[in-house]
Amino acid sequence: MENFYTMGIDVGSNFIKLVLVDYSDNPKLIDKHTEKIRKRDPSQVAEEMTQKMLSKHNLKYEDIAYFASTGEGDLVKRKRGHFYGMTTHAKGAHFLYPNAITVVDMGALYVRAIKISEDARVYDYKMTGQCASGSGQFVENISRYLGLSIEEVGDVSMQSQNPEISSGICAVLAETDVINMVSRGISTPDIIKGIHISIANRILKLLSSLKAESPIVVTGGMALNKGMIQALEEQLEEMGKSYQIHSHPDAIYAGAIGAALWGGFRHIKLKEKQAVVA
Amino acid sequence: MNSLEEILSWCEKTAFDLEFTHAKQWKSKDEKRVIVGYLPIYVPREIIHAANGIAVGIMGTGDRKQIIKGDAYYQSYICHLPRGIIEMALDNNLNGFDGFLFPAICDCVRNLSGMFKLSKKGKFQRYFDYAQNFDPFIGGTFYKHEMEKVIDDIYNVNGVKASVDGLNKAIKLYNINRRLIEEIYDIRQKYPWRLSAVETYHILRAGICITVEEHNEMLQKILNVIRNERGEAMDNIRVVVSGSFCEQPPVGLIKSIEMAGCYIVDDDFMLGSRWIQGDIEEDTNDPLEAITKAYLNQSTFASCYYDVGNPKGKRLVELVKRREADGVIFSAASFCDPALLDRPEMQKECDAAGVPHINFQYHENTGQFKVIKEQAGTFSDSIKLWA
Repeated sequence: MENFYTMGIDVGSNFIKLVLVDYSDNPKLIDKHTEKIRKRDPSQVAEEMTQKMLSKHNLKYEDIAYFASTGEGDLVKRKRGHFYGMTTHAKGAHFLYPNAITVVDMGALYVRAIKISEDARVYDYKMTGQCASGSGQFVENISRYLGLSIEEVGDVSMQSQNPEISSGICAVLAETDVINMVSRGISTPDIIKGIHISIANRILKLLSSLKAESPIVVTGGMALNKGMIQALEEQLEEMGKSYQIHSHPDAIYAGAIGAALWGGFRHIKLKEKQAVVA
Repeated sequence: MNSLEEILSWCEKTAFDLEFTHAKQWKSKDEKRVIVGYLPIYVPREIIHAANGIAVGIMGTGDRKQIIKGDAYYQSYICHLPRGIIEMALDNNLNGFDGFLFPAICDCVRNLSGMFKLSKKGKFQRYFDYAQNFDPFIGGTFYKHEMEKVIDDIYNVNGVKASVDGLNKAIKLYNINRRLIEEIYDIRQKYPWRLSAVETYHILRAGICITVEEHNEMLQKILNVIRNERGEAMDNIRVVVSGSFCEQPPVGLIKSIEMAGCYIVDDDFMLGSRWIQGDIEEDTNDPLEAITKAYLNQSTFASCYYDVGNPKGKRLVELVKRREADGVIFSAASFCDPALLDRPEMQKECDAAGVPHINFQYHENTGQFKVIKEQAGTFSDSIKLWA
């Protein structure tokens, strides 16, 4: 099979993730880059990131066989195709952990538990509802109120001795809980850990309603939050569930990786189709 | 207004102008002109044109109006369209309209015709019954009588009787209109990126609020642009959207389907403008007979039309094949009994023909499309990757 380049871009609510893949029977992740959107125009950020990565590798847009978007992909102007977030996270998780059976995509706005097949097809899924209290954005907001950067949150949470669990139903109630905790003098690590536990409990409900199987791979921005993963593992243990949880340093890129890989798969499919027509 | 961008922006504005300013301005130029409002799906607009009138489609309020009074007229299990329209009437948006036609879509619209009558909106209010018997001597005669009643209604308002010449002229104009619209759909079938489904929707919806002459001129200009390359092709699947013939989907829904990776290559939005397939016979001595024949033999399909000899499910599958679509999205308004009752039969035909399909429901004022985007996105992925 010939090698060719594909790119995947995952436009999230807070971050844009971009990867370059050398696609073959054994695809390789060549480069990756993530950028916080802040208050900029996401289309422009995406375009600049793409240009930068292409020039870094002496490539032109035309050298990319398939440029695929995922997430809020309509904000990406130049692309060949778009794949839905669940499809790409399944593929990305499968790339990072080929034995994965369940994927937990922990994004800024929701958490989604996905059951996948051996070839990364989505079998079934469950996701959190409208409420933001089970999301990365919520953790980021609380950490900001407590004067922490998002990078510090994981380590701070792991220092907790006596976590205080906040509301797992509603972000507004949870924020009120946090204000009360601060006024009651609860330590920052205990507050953060309590939030992680509350989110972990929501994830457990998703996993149990999905009848999830091990191994579970965590993807999305929250997968890099060590405190969150620890809380999830502890809650699973407490409930007597013997799930293996895996996180990966590239977990935040799972959507973008999945998009690039499905792009390669689709590129070959389209070529075969054209050959049949010709 | 010459550039495509200018035309599209004008169409978007005109399509959702609940005051129908353009039509009212047209009427104000001649005291014998009349505005006849009609509800979805189809009325033979030729007869109104021939009687010095403009047929204006009243397709609902969408998300442009808060419904307060309308809710008092209809039970909670009734769709959104009639609530919005009675609200428009009670808020005087439809003042200046001379008459209203209520085509035989369902009982809710039949009831709405009664409400307009009791509220004395317009100078005439007519329930326009579709012939459901396709024998020319039975259904044909009935349909002709229905049209004659409308011609008389307009005559009683402005004293203008639709003449043979006037009808033949109108038939020609609407034939051109349908041909131009069809060409847009044909171009979109091959090159759907040249004109988005939302843009197409705005163009067609504006077309039912302006004169056919103006619309034809506009369509010609649009075609001159999209006959050439425009936009960039994407690796999307091609779908036919079915079930949105009456209460119109919110524009956000159409946009969401496209953004989820589906090119809409055919649909039944604004179906009235495309109801007659092909031309109506021109320059005959009996143009009403020509319109009747076209209705009996050249009508497209929709749930309010009971052509048992030509089942809708089979016609949908034929349409999918003709448009080389990958699948069908059944998208019906909530509580739309005709569409929802037809759906299982149509799905059965799709299954038998191996045409993949998904379905969802909407209100014309739905504002959240996350679930719809999710469904359309996974549908697109499943076809792209596994079909």
